[in-house]
Amino acid sequence: MVLKNLNDLRKIIEGGPRKKLVLAAAQDQHSLGAVIKAWKENIIEPILIGDKAEIQNICDSNNYDIAGIRIIHEPDTDKSVEMAVRMVSAKQADILMKGMVGTSALLKCVLNKEWGLRTGNLLSHFALFEVETYPKVIAVTDVAMNIAPNLKDKIAIVNNSVACLNKLGYIMPKVAVLGAVEMVNENMEATLHAALLSKMNQRDQIRNCIIDGPLAFDNAISLESAKHKGIKSEVAGDTDLLLMPDIEVGNVLYKSLVFFAKAKVASIILGALVPIVLTSRSDSEQAKFDSILLSAAASK
Amino acid sequence: MTAFFFQPQQVNRFVMIRNLDQIEEKVLTLKKKFRIAVAWAQDTNTLGAIHKAVVKGFVDAVLIGKSSDIISTCKEIGINTDLFTVLDADNEKSASAEAVRLAKTGNADIVMKGLVGTDKFLKAVMDRETGIMLPDAVLSYVCAVEIPAYHKLLFITDPAVIPFPNLDQKIAMAGYAVEMARKFGTKRPKIALIGASEKMSNHFPNSIDYSIMCKMAERGQIKNCIMDGPLDLFLACDKKSIEIKGVDTPVNGDADILLFPSLESCNPFYKGMMLFAKGELAGLIRGTQKPVIVMSRSESEISKYYCITLSCLMA
Repeated sequence: MVLKNLNDLRKIIEGGPRKKLVLAAAQDQHSLGAVIKAWKENIIEPILIGDKAEIQNICDSNNYDIAGIRIIHEPDTDKSVEMAVRMVSAKQADILMKGMVGTSALLKCVLNKEWGLRTGNLLSHFALFEVETYPKVIAVTDVAMNIAPNLKDKIAIVNNSVACLNKLGYIMPKVAVLGAVEMVNENMEATLHAALLSKMNQRDQIRNCIIDGPLAFDNAISLESAKHKGIKSEVAGDTDLLLMPDIEVGNVLYKSLVFFAKAKVASIILGALVPIVLTSRSDSEQAKFDSILLSAAASK
Repeated sequence: MTAFFFQPQQVNRFVMIRNLDQIEEKVLTLKKKFRIAVAWAQDTNTLGAIHKAVVKGFVDAVLIGKSSDIISTCKEIGINTDLFTVLDADNEKSASAEAVRLAKTGNADIVMKGLVGTDKFLKAVMDRETGIMLPDAVLSYVCAVEIPAYHKLLFITDPAVIPFPNLDQKIAMAGYAVEMARKFGTKRPKIALIGASEKMSNHFPNSIDYSIMCKMAERGQIKNCIMDGPLDLFLACDKKSIEIKGVDTPVNGDADILLFPSLESCNPFYKGMMLFAKGELAGLIRGTQKPVIVMSRSESEISKYYCITLSCLMA
């Protein structure tokens, strides 16, 4: 299956049970708006943990109707995050979402050795873009979490993303390992990593996907451009997942797509027991909603 | 409208060289005489091999060394010295330098090592001013090995020169081996990069180099070959192992070339083939302006003869 746009994610969750999303430190207008919208559209079943009075206040002043939503009162931010994480590890919720709390405080709880959501996998960021100029959605990783992943990290990042794409219905997603050029160059580490990842994929050391790289951005997404360069590749021009060399390249691409190409984006954190929705304040309401939609589709 | 006429092409039918004896056949069809300069020539096996090539008519030889010794050695094995040009030299060093000088000045097509030690001989070949290295070239060694148990000739590298080749040296080695295999008539030889397993692992630095090289071959940065590695020897040369292990590799148990990770792995391979598998080989130094024959002094006359024919083919 191939997703043409982010709305296609709805098809994945249609008919299934509604996933429970727990919003930690829920007294946050930006998150609440998206969560309530997703609830109204039958995408998730929310559980709000936080300062009940504040939550009520925000909802009143924004005309959010939250009648019927479970709210757990916990005014202390740290405690509310811990409670949310414990709820997930006790399998009482399927998705964790960050509210009015810093990313590091939330991740600290996620990584707690006793009651956190560790799986032994590296945590990585996974973004799904809908760009008008590309015929299907395209996943990009890692644009926000791992700064300068080494080979081992990149293997983990690919595995996280491929497992997620598999859940979204992609049986053999096509992974392009991005470089500045499509040639192997000893002075560009990204191209060496790309060669190694390709070989590991050929040898079944990285499974359930087809990896090729290095590919320059144009070769990765345009068959014409790949042909022009004489590249023979199953991936070129038909990429499902772009693996970034590092966070700087990834972050700039992410923001360019959003600001210049007016792309729609959904993003989640992978590698924990459940998908984590970790949107930032600067994300649009739509992006937050789409991220919740993605988390529901990616949830087991 | 353009009219097309069928024009019978001048077809230069290339006969594939399938065993070491056929190198000589191919060289004879070239109808050329190759001038070989032999450094410190007073060695029975070397003289025997050179004599055979001269008699066959495709070699002119310049023998450099103590002329009295050369003449007496020739007499010992019943060779007519009138067939050769003999040049007098006092010692191994000057004999090597003279042989290299003849090649450098265009008076010889091939240089051959006689009874001189390999290190002294190569020093003359590699001398920055008077030597015959190609600019910035990697000096390496390629062998064509004939093994009765294998269905074709196998080219191996490097059993003699580079102890632990780095990535650049491995790329050069692959290039030399491909060049030789193509001279033998295989247009796109299959080259297996040999390791102990087919998996990529950080613990085996060679598997990292190999993965990089495969991608370079895929992208056309290494040309004219089908490359895969790491592969163990079974996966490289045995189709049954491919079936059993289920490894998807374009080399497919049908390797033309084996690139070894080190001298110490390649050298015992060829010696094992000679000792236990009735193998024969012909080898050549690569990276020089003209072919350079370096063989162990203990090699047989037939091995040396094969090397001479190979050097003429590559000249």
